[in-house]
Amino acid sequence: MAALGRAALLLSFGLVVYALVAGSVAAWKRRRRLAASAQNALIAAFGTTVVAAAVLWTALARHDFSFVYVAQHTSRTLPLGYRLAAFWSGQEGSLLLWLLILTGYSALAVWLHRFTRDLMAWVVPVLAGVSTFFVFMLVFVSSPFMSAPAPADGAGMVPSLQNPYMLAHPPMLYLGYVGLTIPFAFAMGALLSRRTDERWIVMTRRWTLAAWTFLGVGQLLGAHWAYVEIGWGGYYAWDPVENAALMPWLAATAFLHSVMIQEKRGMLKVWNMVLVALAFCLSIFGTFLTRSGVISSIHSFSQSPLGAWFLGFIAICVVFSVGLIYLRLPLLRSRTKLESLVSREATFLYNNLLLVALCLTILWGVMYPLVTQAVRGETRSVSKPYYDFFLHTFGLPLLLLMGIGPLVAWRRASLRALGRTFIVPAVAAVVTGVALIVLGYGSSTPGLLAYTFGAFVAASIVLEFVRGTRARRSLSGGSWPGALAELVARNRRRYGGYIVHASILMLAIGVAGSSAYQTVRERGLRPGQSMEIAGYTLTYERLQQRQEANAIATRAVVDVSRGGSHVTTLYPGKNSYPVEQQVSNEVSIYHDPRNLGDLFTIADQIDPKSQTLFLKVLVKPLVNVLWAAGFVFVFGSLVTLWPDAVEQRRLAARYAADTVAA
Amino acid sequence: MIALSVAAVLAIFIVYTAVAGAGTPQLQPSDLARYPRGDVMLVGKVVGPVTGDSHAAVGKHFVLRDVTGHTSTRVDVVYKGTVPDLFRVGREVVVEGTLRNGTFVAKPGTLSTKCPSKYAPAPAKNT
Amino acid sequence: MTLALALAAVLAVAAVAFVARPFLREPAPASDRLGELSELERRRIELEEERDRALAALKELEFDHRTGKISDGDYRELVGPLRRRAAETLQALELRAGTGHERISSGR
Repeated sequence: MAALGRAALLLSFGLVVYALVAGSVAAWKRRRRLAASAQNALIAAFGTTVVAAAVLWTALARHDFSFVYVAQHTSRTLPLGYRLAAFWSGQEGSLLLWLLILTGYSALAVWLHRFTRDLMAWVVPVLAGVSTFFVFMLVFVSSPFMSAPAPADGAGMVPSLQNPYMLAHPPMLYLGYVGLTIPFAFAMGALLSRRTDERWIVMTRRWTLAAWTFLGVGQLLGAHWAYVEIGWGGYYAWDPVENAALMPWLAATAFLHSVMIQEKRGMLKVWNMVLVALAFCLSIFGTFLTRSGVISSIHSFSQSPLGAWFLGFIAICVVFSVGLIYLRLPLLRSRTKLESLVSREATFLYNNLLLVALCLTILWGVMYPLVTQAVRGETRSVSKPYYDFFLHTFGLPLLLLMGIGPLVAWRRASLRALGRTFIVPAVAAVVTGVALIVLGYGSSTPGLLAYTFGAFVAASIVLEFVRGTRARRSLSGGSWPGALAELVARNRRRYGGYIVHASILMLAIGVAGSSAYQTVRERGLRPGQSMEIAGYTLTYERLQQRQEANAIATRAVVDVSRGGSHVTTLYPGKNSYPVEQQVSNEVSIYHDPRNLGDLFTIADQIDPKSQTLFLKVLVKPLVNVLWAAGFVFVFGSLVTLWPDAVEQRRLAARYAADTVAA
Repeated sequence: MIALSVAAVLAIFIVYTAVAGAGTPQLQPSDLARYPRGDVMLVGKVVGPVTGDSHAAVGKHFVLRDVTGHTSTRVDVVYKGTVPDLFRVGREVVVEGTLRNGTFVAKPGTLSTKCPSKYAPAPAKNT
Repeated sequence: MTLALALAAVLAVAAVAFVARPFLREPAPASDRLGELSELERRRIELEEERDRALAALKELEFDHRTGKISDGDYRELVGPLRRRAAETLQALELRAGTGHERISSGR
């Protein structure tokens, strides 16, 4: 059956190459049937890729160890769920997942907009071009369908991957990463077809939003995975692989905001093209970083041959986008100028600059070892202090801007008007700040600023909802909740956006609390001994061991009390996997309602003979607000994404000429 | 206006790198000879024997060699602090510290191991 | 193995058929020209976008005024130019529609 998989991928290759070449010729020479044929080829490529994916999934489910990939990543004892997830646990399979999503998205985008022939004629070859690279890799460089005489059992899956996160985190990330290809293709398509209108933005707005949401959720899942499973006490380590997903997300965030400016004022056309290309190139760069091992990271160290190919493809993408944007520069010039530095356009611009600045500093930090190696012959690297500095320098103003933006009017805001609208949030911020200093939170300046700015943003968002609901109620009466619902329903993008801002605020607060105000203690303990941290007393009582399905679980029984009364019992420890010869860290966490945070315990250096161990305890205030933010984030995105019938009709009328019936 | 902001960002950047220094060198054991002083990040493969206790005064002692290249150079490392679970002989590790009198004295808590790469071809398994 | 080959062959035939479909359905069409937006239509779309922008800006100004973000004084100051802009764009479209109408219907 591996032969079927290979054949299917070979077919996919032929189809996307045809779509690329025929599509380009058709767009160039204005040939209708050829263009339709290229479109069909792109859609068919999804079909053949589905077949290839089905072959691999079937082989994984059936323990078909004649597939080298199946033998390398699964074993007879691996449960079905993880066997299916092994699809993306290895290099070749994850490439196939990328291709599957890419061809799927492409087919959907092409089919949904099949009547906009003018634009799609160029979008098809761009999508095909990107797909060509990935199919090429799968067919000629890194195939999941290599076969060999089947061994008795497979190598199994690394224990640290055997958890539900493995089922969700990679697919979410990919749905996000790959999703950024669609707006890129439409943007390049618009440039290639010399369109200067906003059609491509209107068509891809939801795609970009959805991809951005998936990418955000994927990252949160990854952070939570690191937090509870790897358990060093943190959720983000500025590892290159983590940064790989953050950078395109930041670029996409900037893009989401700046297209609003283009829609409303017709400005920033060139900037938007650059941003969408940046977001796309960073998404490819991101997967390159994760796979190639070219930057040593906690995740991979081996040098892989794929790196060179990916670099070549990224170079092509960069040259192509920059070249095309440069060529079409005259078309993109807009007549509208920024009227005032104090206007909503300006705040959007500042937001963009800060986001891109943060993105580029992270990129520099990631590339630094390579750059220093090339320039000075020695490898130097930067770490947490570098990233933290720029996160504070750019992130804190960004947080504040989230609160300022909605309060400032478009075009030109008078300082008088600003004074009025700023008063309540500013007072809220100052009061919060002073209260916090009094309560002792001045120990961390970034933390204090985060909380103070956060108060400003919170007040600003609440005010928006209150003002809007009040106005709606005065217009059409009804109850407060009813007016609120109607308000949001009539202005989905605006209020959905505010909900998303609220989630980012929660994220910022959660990060600030759990990093700037965390307490860490570590002590060696014998059974019966205790340690104190932040008002809690932890007593290590005894060790217990039990046999689980494929591991020996060693746990320390730790009694947690506060002010003399028992709060909870925690069981930090280790799992030992005899087959894989590995030990995993099993942390024990108490979700503390008092500070919306966690009491996080790690047991280290457990000596079964003497029963001694080292207990590391972290108190992380507000960290659960971080995770809750994820749900608010998704909710806000859904509100913003929700289709608006009135809007759709208006846009359809506007672009009626674009849609060819014959 | 954009040019001004870009300049401002670059200014912050340059000031930072000037003040905070330009990163930590990342070296393999065979490069250490060039860095008798100063804080570096040592990258290497663990070879036995591993002795001592990282939480005791004497610290944990192990030996590192180059991951690739000069496999004959050996560096003694003494480390205190939390040891990652994946640490053992044959693993590739990164640790920050300074070379002192021929022994690499590590900064506490800076030891980290590489997750066995899920994207590299798995080593042949004897079944 | 032969099953795999057979399935692969079926897949290949289906793919090729789907790709050739546009040519098979219309072996000799009246026109094979891929339509392109005429200059007139492009201009119209841009004008409509400008009109929509002006109207949206007005709507947003009203909204901001109603929710109390913009004072009465500021509103009076800003609404004039916006209304004029909206009127301008509406007028430009009507002109276009009037003069270009015949050309659009007879083109292509």
